[in-house]
Amino acid sequence: MNESGVLRASLAIAAAVFLALLAYSALHALDYGEEEAYSRDLRRVQAATAELNERVLKSRSALLSQYDPLVHALRDLHALHERLKRVPEFLGRSAALDMRARLRDSEAQLQQKDELVEDFKTQNSVLQNSLHYFPILANSVIDRARVTPAGATVASRIQALISAIMLFDTAADTESTSRVQSAQVDLSNAKQAAQELQLNHELELNHELELILAHSQIILERKPLTDGLVKQILAVPLPRIALALEEAYSLHYRSATDRALILRQILFGLASITIVLGLTDVILRLRRSALALELATGELRQANAALAREREKERQLGELKTRFVSMTSHEFRTPLSVIVSSTDLLENYSDRWDAERRSDHLERIRSAAGSMDRMLDDILLIGRAEAGVLRASPAQLNLDEFCRNLVESLEHSSGRSHSIRYSFSGDPQVTLDERLLSEVVGNLLSNALKYSPTGSQVDFDVDANDEQCKFAVEDRGIGIPEADIPRLFVSFFRAGNANQIKGSGLGLAVVQKALDVQNGTIEVQSRLGQGTKFVVLVPRDLGPLAASKSSSNEL
Amino acid sequence: MTRNRPVISSVRCLAAVFVSLTVLACLNLFGCGLHEKRHESEPVELDSLGEQPIEPLPLTVDFDVAQAALGEILFAEPRLSGDSKVACTDCHHAEHGWADDQPHSRVVGRPESPVNVPTMYNVRFLYKLSWGGKYESLEAHIDALMTNPKVMASSWEIATQHLSELSSYRQLFAAVFRDGLTPSNLRQAILDYERSLVTPNAPFDRYLRGNAQAVSPEAKQGYALFKSYGCASCHQGMAIGGNVFERLGVLRNFFDDRGHFDNADLGRFNITKREQDRFVFRVPSLRNVALTAPYFHDGSAATLEDAVTTMASYQLGRELSEPDRSAVVAFLRSLTGEYRGNSL
Repeated sequence: MNESGVLRASLAIAAAVFLALLAYSALHALDYGEEEAYSRDLRRVQAATAELNERVLKSRSALLSQYDPLVHALRDLHALHERLKRVPEFLGRSAALDMRARLRDSEAQLQQKDELVEDFKTQNSVLQNSLHYFPILANSVIDRARVTPAGATVASRIQALISAIMLFDTAADTESTSRVQSAQVDLSNAKQAAQELQLNHELELNHELELILAHSQIILERKPLTDGLVKQILAVPLPRIALALEEAYSLHYRSATDRALILRQILFGLASITIVLGLTDVILRLRRSALALELATGELRQANAALAREREKERQLGELKTRFVSMTSHEFRTPLSVIVSSTDLLENYSDRWDAERRSDHLERIRSAAGSMDRMLDDILLIGRAEAGVLRASPAQLNLDEFCRNLVESLEHSSGRSHSIRYSFSGDPQVTLDERLLSEVVGNLLSNALKYSPTGSQVDFDVDANDEQCKFAVEDRGIGIPEADIPRLFVSFFRAGNANQIKGSGLGLAVVQKALDVQNGTIEVQSRLGQGTKFVVLVPRDLGPLAASKSSSNEL
Repeated sequence: MTRNRPVISSVRCLAAVFVSLTVLACLNLFGCGLHEKRHESEPVELDSLGEQPIEPLPLTVDFDVAQAALGEILFAEPRLSGDSKVACTDCHHAEHGWADDQPHSRVVGRPESPVNVPTMYNVRFLYKLSWGGKYESLEAHIDALMTNPKVMASSWEIATQHLSELSSYRQLFAAVFRDGLTPSNLRQAILDYERSLVTPNAPFDRYLRGNAQAVSPEAKQGYALFKSYGCASCHQGMAIGGNVFERLGVLRNFFDDRGHFDNADLGRFNITKREQDRFVFRVPSLRNVALTAPYFHDGSAATLEDAVTTMASYQLGRELSEPDRSAVVAFLRSLTGEYRGNSL
């Protein structure tokens, strides 16, 4: 079936697409653990950056005594970037490319920050040392220098430098810078003057004064440098990029979940289609097989019925044959035994018998032979009719005359044991088969005589109207049991109450066959013990359309 | 089980190591005893020191024991080099704290090393390696040394080829690694060994953890000076250095006084080419510093005393008194830790 082929092909396609999409969605499924870890890492970029910035500021303010926290913060940031490069599969290829591009940007910034922090540490180490040591050193030199009047000048110069450095440390601008520079020059000059007085050697101050100047110079140079580095470190737009990264990720995440949702809907649709197609296929198959079963059952039933009919026919045929054989053997034996016994008697006693007795036996022989002849005629007629070769040969006929002759011949042959009341009406000129008609009417009349008591009257009414001839034969005899009426016209059938009366059972069968070929009909009305009436209708003019209708289908 | 075993660094002990390696590998296969864990309890004193620039080394580190044991053998294996003549141990001497006692390492068939070879101990805590901070990781460092024609003049593939000629190595690797002897497994074994070289529990670490008796009063005095002189401005953190770059000669010119100058003296400049990085070096870790003489990138300081004097002078502009210097040196000597449970 083409229809089911299309159905099954689309079912296979739907199932295949469904399975392929299912596999795809399973491969690109959202791993919640991975997603959670990834978005946590994304958030941590900002936090780690803030942590790093805080530690840089603490370092600058001497609140942190080691650089390990800075190194760790940077290492965390690098590790975060490495981890973030492994974008969850679920986001899809283009999202991963976008994320990686942003991460490269972020990494470049981180690298820059890394280098700035490296420089900061280098500068800050020295600066912090000087900031810590300069006041201690300067104050100790002041204490030592103050003991001499010449040293007092140096001490005041150092004091001025301390003030200038303190101001510079608080607010490093051009004014405070130039103040430090002039204080440095003043101290240098004082140092020079003191050296000429051999003061330094005496107090061993020369090296310390140089160190004071060196540390002040370090502070003067490195403080703006370090502060500049801190500013640059804080200015690296890592948090902004991280925020953008996070926003981009959530956008990608949303579109990925949207895609997953659509995919799920498609999967659901495909699953539904597959199920519907599958069910339809199953239903169609079931229906087809039910139909085939029904068809087969019908055929089987018909075959069974045909077989039963066939068997019934065969049975009837067999029955008929059996009946025919038993009937004929019986019906033929009777006249034959008459012929044989009369012939024997004539042979042995003819010379001793008188003429009257001899002729009586000869008459018996003739009558028996005639009876056999009639029976043979009947059987042959039925046989011809059943073989389909019985034909009506219609000819011009005076019906009234035909019937009257028939009545007279019957009255004669029965020895006038019954009175036959005959009437005719209508136009006696008809075109009918005289021999077949005589079979019909003769048999009906002789039956009427045979099955009614001697002396009773038989009514024979013939009416020939424009279309058909109607023959009605009514006796006042034994009648026919109602149950026997349907089989009345079957060969060799005899009514149950007719057993005492001699008969072959062929008469009415002959009537039926003879009527069949003349397109005639016969009806019977009978009341048991009161009489029987047969009404025969035959078309008045058989003409050339000689009845060809076979009686074989009647049997 | 290897916890208390004495240091094994010679190929002669190969057979003994093989047996223990096989056992370890079996344990490894059964998923137990993977990592060496050290747990030592220390009496905690109430007078905690508060926030300090120096932190003690962790008592426990993670590494694969079987791979590290294999790496230890490989560390002494000259077949790693291209000409099968130079082993890691030719420059890194176990008896000198895995550093070289010569200012510049001299190995047959190789040019003299431009800088003093630093210690291998606690390298896992350093974040940049070599005097100029050229390498970001142990992996980058060892890959570079393997292919450097002046050092190993080899590659992992060549070394693997050399080792595969010995059935004992094939068996060892098969016992430790599922896929046996491969270039990446060879590298991994050495890296695991490097990461196992940790020296916790130095007297000063025990002091930091609260054991006031762990170091001498002189060393405590030295620590105070170490901080007040400003040494701790750079030598700080867990490794006491190693996490910052600094110019050699802040207050005085080191190279002018030394009298000569060569390319290695440029330090970090050789890597970054930035003017500000000229003469800048990674501040070295002072862990186990007593074991790793001579000192500085050029190995110019033969003793700790020399090194302390030089540092005070050039970096801090200070002249130390003899007692002060002794105290600082006493402090530095208290930084020598334990390896595999034994004091170094």
